[in-house]
Amino acid sequence: MADVRDILDIEVPAVPEVTKEAIFGVDKKNKKRYEYKVPKRPEGMHREVYALLYKDNNDVPPLFPTDTGKGYKQTKAKLGMRKVRPWKWTPFTNPARTDGAVFHHWRRVADAGKEYPFAKFNKKVPIPSYTDGEYVQHLVTSGWTRSETDHLFDLCRRFDLRFIIIKDRWDRNKFPDRSVEDLKERYYQVCGALTRAKSHNDKVYTFDAEHEKRRKEQLKKLFERTPEQVEEEQTLLSELRKIEQRKKERDRKTQDLQKLITAADHQVDPRKTERKSTKKNNNSNRNRPTKIDSAHVVESAGIKFPDFKNSSVSLRSQRIKLPSSLGQKKMKSIEQMLTELHLELNPPPTEQICQQFNELRSDIVLHYELKGALATCDYELQSLRHQYEALAPGKTLTIPPSLLPKVEPEVKADIIDVVGSPSMPNVTQ
Amino acid sequence: MATASEFGPDSGGRVKGLTIVKPIVYGNVARYFGKKREEDGHTHQWTVYVKPYNNEDMSTYVKKVHFKLHESYNNPNRIVTKPPYELTETGWGEFEIVIKIYFHDPNERPVTIYHILKLFQSTPEIQLGKKSLVSEFYEEIVFQDPTALMQHLLSSSRPMTLGVWRHDNDFEAKKQSTLQEIVEAKNKIRGEVTELKEKLTLAKETIAKFKEEISKISKTNGGLSIS
Repeated sequence: MADVRDILDIEVPAVPEVTKEAIFGVDKKNKKRYEYKVPKRPEGMHREVYALLYKDNNDVPPLFPTDTGKGYKQTKAKLGMRKVRPWKWTPFTNPARTDGAVFHHWRRVADAGKEYPFAKFNKKVPIPSYTDGEYVQHLVTSGWTRSETDHLFDLCRRFDLRFIIIKDRWDRNKFPDRSVEDLKERYYQVCGALTRAKSHNDKVYTFDAEHEKRRKEQLKKLFERTPEQVEEEQTLLSELRKIEQRKKERDRKTQDLQKLITAADHQVDPRKTERKSTKKNNNSNRNRPTKIDSAHVVESAGIKFPDFKNSSVSLRSQRIKLPSSLGQKKMKSIEQMLTELHLELNPPPTEQICQQFNELRSDIVLHYELKGALATCDYELQSLRHQYEALAPGKTLTIPPSLLPKVEPEVKADIIDVVGSPSMPNVTQ
Repeated sequence: MATASEFGPDSGGRVKGLTIVKPIVYGNVARYFGKKREEDGHTHQWTVYVKPYNNEDMSTYVKKVHFKLHESYNNPNRIVTKPPYELTETGWGEFEIVIKIYFHDPNERPVTIYHILKLFQSTPEIQLGKKSLVSEFYEEIVFQDPTALMQHLLSSSRPMTLGVWRHDNDFEAKKQSTLQEIVEAKNKIRGEVTELKEKLTLAKETIAKFKEEISKISKTNGGLSIS
C-alpha cells in the first residue's frame, strides 16, 4: 500500500494504519510456519541422519538427483541385458590330426559348422625333399650315405626339426651315433645346397657346427665349475683390481714428485734476480710513506699467503701470518727450521722483511716436502732391491754396476743424514 | 687541522693506488718495586704505550687509542685521546693487552694490536728494580687506498719535538740485521732445496731403472708379476 501512496504522492499518515494484518500479522506468520509439513522422523532412523535431511530451514530434500553429470562415478556395467546364446554339445574333428578321430565339446550354436579354432596353431615346418637326381648332383658328401640322410630327413619331418628328439630317436643300430651338431650341420647343408640349386636369390642358412660345439663346451665348463674354482676366480679378480689400484696410486705419486721437482726449479731459479732488486730498494723507501706493490706477495709452491689488495688500514705484521690452511705439521716444521736458523718467529715487519720472510718460509715448506718425498723414494728403492733379491736369489749384483755403487749408497747416505739431522726430527712420512 | 666537512660528504671516496705507511712502536716498560706491596700485592709498575716510530704527531690522524686491560682491573677499558698514548698501572701479573687504534676518519676501520704485557725478565739488574724492563715491538700501519680525508691527515702531521726522537731499541739496526739474516737463511734453504731436488731426480731415475730390471728378471723367471 505504501508504494501506491508514494506514487500518488499521498502523505504518509503519522500513525500507521490499523489493519487486519497489523493486528494479526504475527499470528499469521506463526501459523504459516506451523502449516509447513515437517515429516516425522521415521522410527529407527538416527537423529543425526534425520538432521541431515531436514534442517531448520525446512527445505525438502530434492526428489531427483541434481547431479546428473557423470562426475566421478563410473556408469555401472550393464549385465544380463542381452539374450543368452545357447551352447550345444557337438562333435568335432581336428584337422591337425590325420586319424580323423571325433571328439565332442561344448560349442555355441552360432559357431556350428566352423573349423576347430585351435587347428590354426598346428604349424608344419616345411622340410625340403630331394629326388635321386638332386641327391647325386648336389648332396653327396663323405661321411653321410644316402640312407642315413634319408633317415635324418624322415626324423626331421616327424619331429619338426626338434633336433634333440631327433638325436634321441636316431637309429643307432643302422647308423653311427651322431651329435646334435652333426645332425644340424648335415640338415642345413642339404637345405642350403637345395636352395642354391633352385635359385640364387633365396637366403641360405649356414650352420657353424664348430662354433656351436665350442659354445656348448664352454657352457658346460662354466656349469661344471666347483665352488672352490668359483672362489678362486673371485679372489683373482679382486687381486687384479688391487694391483691396478696400486699402479694408479704409484703413477699419481710419481706425478706429485714431478710437480715438486718443477716447483723447486721455479723457486730456485729467480733467486738471484730477486735479491738484486731488493737490495736496490733497500735504502730508498725506508721510514717514509711508501707505495707497496701487493703484487710482490710471494707466489710459490710452498705457502700461499693471502693478498692484501683491499682498500683498508692494516698492520704490516698481518702479512706474515701463516694461513691456517697450512696445517699444524708444516707450521711446526717451519718453526723448528726457523729456530735452527736462529731467526725470530716475528721479525720487525717492514715491507722487505715481510716479503723475504714469507719467501723463506715458503722455501722451508718446499724443503720439508722434498725431504719427505726423498724419504719415500728411498723406501721404495730399498723395497725394490729386496724384491729383486727375492726374485733372483744371490743376484743383487746383476743391477748395472754403474748404478749400484754410485747411486744407491749416495741416496742412502742422504736419507741417513736427513733422519739424523737435528733440524728435522719429525721427518715421518 | 682539516675536518671532515672540508672534504664534503663523500670524503669516504678513496685515493686508489696510494699506500701510506706509518711505522709505530708499541710495547711496555716495567719496573719492579723491589718488594711486594702490602695493600694489594702488586709488585710492578708498568706503562703500556703506542708511539710513532718517526718524530711526528700521531694525533693528526689518530682519534684515540683504546687499551683493554685484564678483567680484574677496575674499568679495564682505558681510552687515551691525546699523545702520549700510554697508560701507567701497577700489577703483579702478565696478560694480553688489546690495543685498538681509531682514526679520525670513521671510514677507516680501527686496527688492533695484541701485546703481552711483560714484567719479568731474568737480567739481575732489572730483577732488582734498578733498571726498567722494556718490551717493545716495531709495527707498520699500512693505509691502502686511504680516503681523501685520511690522506690529507696522514700527510700533514708535524714533528713531536724539536729534539731528537729516540727509542730504547735500535730498530734500524735490527731491521737491517734481520733482513740480512733472513736473506741468508733463504739462500741457504734454496741451496738445500736445489740439492734435494737433484737427489730426488736421481732417486726417481734409479727407481725407474730398478723397476725395469725387476720386470726383466721376472720375465725370465717365468712371469711372476710384481705388484
